[in-house]
Amino acid sequence: VVVYLNLHSFLFFHVLSLCLGYSPPGKPKLTSCRSPEKETFTCWWEPGSDGGLPTTYALYYRKENSDAVYECPDYHTAGENSCFFNKNDTSIWVNYNITVVATNALGSNFSDPVDVDVVYIVQPHTPENVTVTVMEDKDGPFLRVSWEPPRKADTRSGWITLIYELRVKLEGEEEWEEHRAGQQKMFNIFSLRSGGMYLVQVRCKPDHGFWSEWSSTTYIKVPDYFPRETSVWILIAVFSAFIFFILTWILNLKSNSVKHCLLPPVPGPKIKGFDKQLLKNGRSEEVFSALVVPGFPPTTSSDCEDLLVEYLEVYTPEEQELILEEGKDLQEGCLKSKGSPSDSDSGRGSCDSHTLLMEKCGEGEGKEEKHQERAQKGKRQQKHQTGWEEGDVSHTREDVLSPDMSEGRVKTWPSVFSPLPQYSSRPLDHQGSLETARHGLQLPGFRSTEYVEVQRVNQEDMVILQPLFSSSCQRDGHLQIGQGEDYSKVKGVDSGNMLLLQREVEVKREEEDGDRYSCDIQDRVTESCYTTSTAASSQVTGKPTSCAGTAMPVQEEMVLAANGYVDAATMLL
Amino acid sequence: MPENFRSVSAVWVGLVCLLFYSRLVRVGAAPICTNGQAGCHILSLADLFDRVIQHSARMHGISSDLHSEFEQYFFPSKNHIGRVNRICHTSTILTPNGKENAQRLAREELTEVILKLLVAWRDPLWHFQQSIAHHHDFNNFSSNKALEMSDMVHELRKGVEKVAEKMQMLGIISNSVNSLTSPEALIPSDRAEWRLMKDYVLLYCFRRDSNKVQNYLKILKCRIIPQHEC
Repeated sequence: VVVYLNLHSFLFFHVLSLCLGYSPPGKPKLTSCRSPEKETFTCWWEPGSDGGLPTTYALYYRKENSDAVYECPDYHTAGENSCFFNKNDTSIWVNYNITVVATNALGSNFSDPVDVDVVYIVQPHTPENVTVTVMEDKDGPFLRVSWEPPRKADTRSGWITLIYELRVKLEGEEEWEEHRAGQQKMFNIFSLRSGGMYLVQVRCKPDHGFWSEWSSTTYIKVPDYFPRETSVWILIAVFSAFIFFILTWILNLKSNSVKHCLLPPVPGPKIKGFDKQLLKNGRSEEVFSALVVPGFPPTTSSDCEDLLVEYLEVYTPEEQELILEEGKDLQEGCLKSKGSPSDSDSGRGSCDSHTLLMEKCGEGEGKEEKHQERAQKGKRQQKHQTGWEEGDVSHTREDVLSPDMSEGRVKTWPSVFSPLPQYSSRPLDHQGSLETARHGLQLPGFRSTEYVEVQRVNQEDMVILQPLFSSSCQRDGHLQIGQGEDYSKVKGVDSGNMLLLQREVEVKREEEDGDRYSCDIQDRVTESCYTTSTAASSQVTGKPTSCAGTAMPVQEEMVLAANGYVDAATMLL
Repeated sequence: MPENFRSVSAVWVGLVCLLFYSRLVRVGAAPICTNGQAGCHILSLADLFDRVIQHSARMHGISSDLHSEFEQYFFPSKNHIGRVNRICHTSTILTPNGKENAQRLAREELTEVILKLLVAWRDPLWHFQQSIAHHHDFNNFSSNKALEMSDMVHELRKGVEKVAEKMQMLGIISNSVNSLTSPEALIPSDRAEWRLMKDYVLLYCFRRDSNKVQNYLKILKCRIIPQHEC
């Protein structure tokens, strides 16, 4: 009966509870298990619904590979809904299988089991004794943060290894600056703001486990100081400004060369007398009229040297080739070179050359330079001489000095013409051997050419002539004037507009000159005789000495070139 | 102007080169030698301990990685893991499972335990690595890790033996540790046990054992050389 009554009351109670809305408890849930020092651990659970009835909870666990079930030894130390395992009950490296049971009058409910190995659930307490001090350094102040491990964690024996982390921020800021400190218990913070208030926190974690909570905030105020960085920056700024100035100065100095390098000058039009402004502003007539330069083309012989370039070439048809040849040679040089004695035209109008003959040898001496230079003259003389030695061509000049030459160049030599006939005519008169017709400026044809080079025309329209040395003295010593290799030196021009020619020349340099010597002497004698007077010409043939005598005094005054050239210009009287 | 620039830049380059060279020269490393030759930096016991501890930490890290990979790959549900019966082949080796227990052990015993564990894992890990290499389920990353793990066990054992030698030389421990070198003596039980272990269980067991080794080494070090980072 008692049993029946118990059962009956039990059932009655149950039915009553159910009618009243009570139910068995809901399923509890194990939320977490944690060990602060790897020696004890605590598990917490979350109760389910209690079903309206008072519910009790129990925690049961099983150790690895063992079927024995144990109940939680301590429900209270860790608080409500927790189970605390003390050192004796805790085994490391052992798998715990933990379950929580909720029980009320109507029933019980088991939670899902959880496997726990204490090694992997370690979460230490926060580090303790966090102290922050301001320390001074040569670079400025810095913070030294030091702390201690949580009391319970046994790092001394090596049972737990903790690594630390701290975070800093300025008061009022949002972002923390985090630093890992490893296993050390001290950390320095640099680069502080002067006068700032800093907040510091520290936390720790075992090598395999969870981070602890952040320690309580420590406040520290940094005193005011002048940051060295600023002074360094100032120094750098000054230094770079200095460098900059120096560079600018150098650039300024060498601005021209830099400009030249970067912006090479563009060659612009250079028309003399061309005024760009005028072109921009104005009318074309003005512009072009401005281009007209007075004195161009030169109508007066202001620079008579230029005129030396111009001369008339006269040649005979059979010599046209030679003329042409020479013409080409002559065209190579500049204008001035035309007047060089190597040109075919040289020697025209000389007092001693009767004809205006072309140098038939046709050396390419057009390249020779200004006849003013004596050294070159010497060379030319040499060349002429050699040229003539190669072959004398007898030129017969029959043509008048007329500009309308069919071939070759025609050059005019206007001012030269007038004095020439004087000179030209005389030797012809006296030389019976001279046969060919002479023209104004022409000398009769000779076997060899005789040249006188016109150096320049002076102000009074006088031709200053320079005789060219004759290279060969292979002639028969004919004293005929106009045998081409003979040159005389012009000693001077006397008052009667007569050309004084020198008799003697001391040629020291070349051996060839030795041959010439006698010839020259003779020629000179001849010429000097000419120049002095017409009458004296009769003396020419036979009496060099007499002529020499006349020539002598002047001779000393001569300005001699080593090759026997005379710069007749110097002897103008 | 270009000459100025050239000379100035040459001077700067020279200065910079000089700075670098001086820095390089200053940082010199002292040679390490083991026999106490003149001019060498002799490895101290503390250095040896640091090295083996680092080694064991790395070994444990790799084993943890592999274990979690396995868990993800083969056992997505956590609860399922709980029901697997994990029996490790090293459970026959008596190991202290608490701090007091570990501290109660003598140095020689602790060293012995470490060596036993390391020896016991050499073959299983080698076979595990072999099976992983042939398994197309695993990527190269895992197989590389397995290989590294197996090598590390070997290296770590040699390292610990060296430490033991050094300790014996210094008189810190007695000479009884030498007898541990032969694997047969350590595992008298059937070696076929570990062949039955599944890969997952193997990894689970090894992860734990590598943690034990690391911890024991730390305890040993702090007991013998307390002033050095303890």
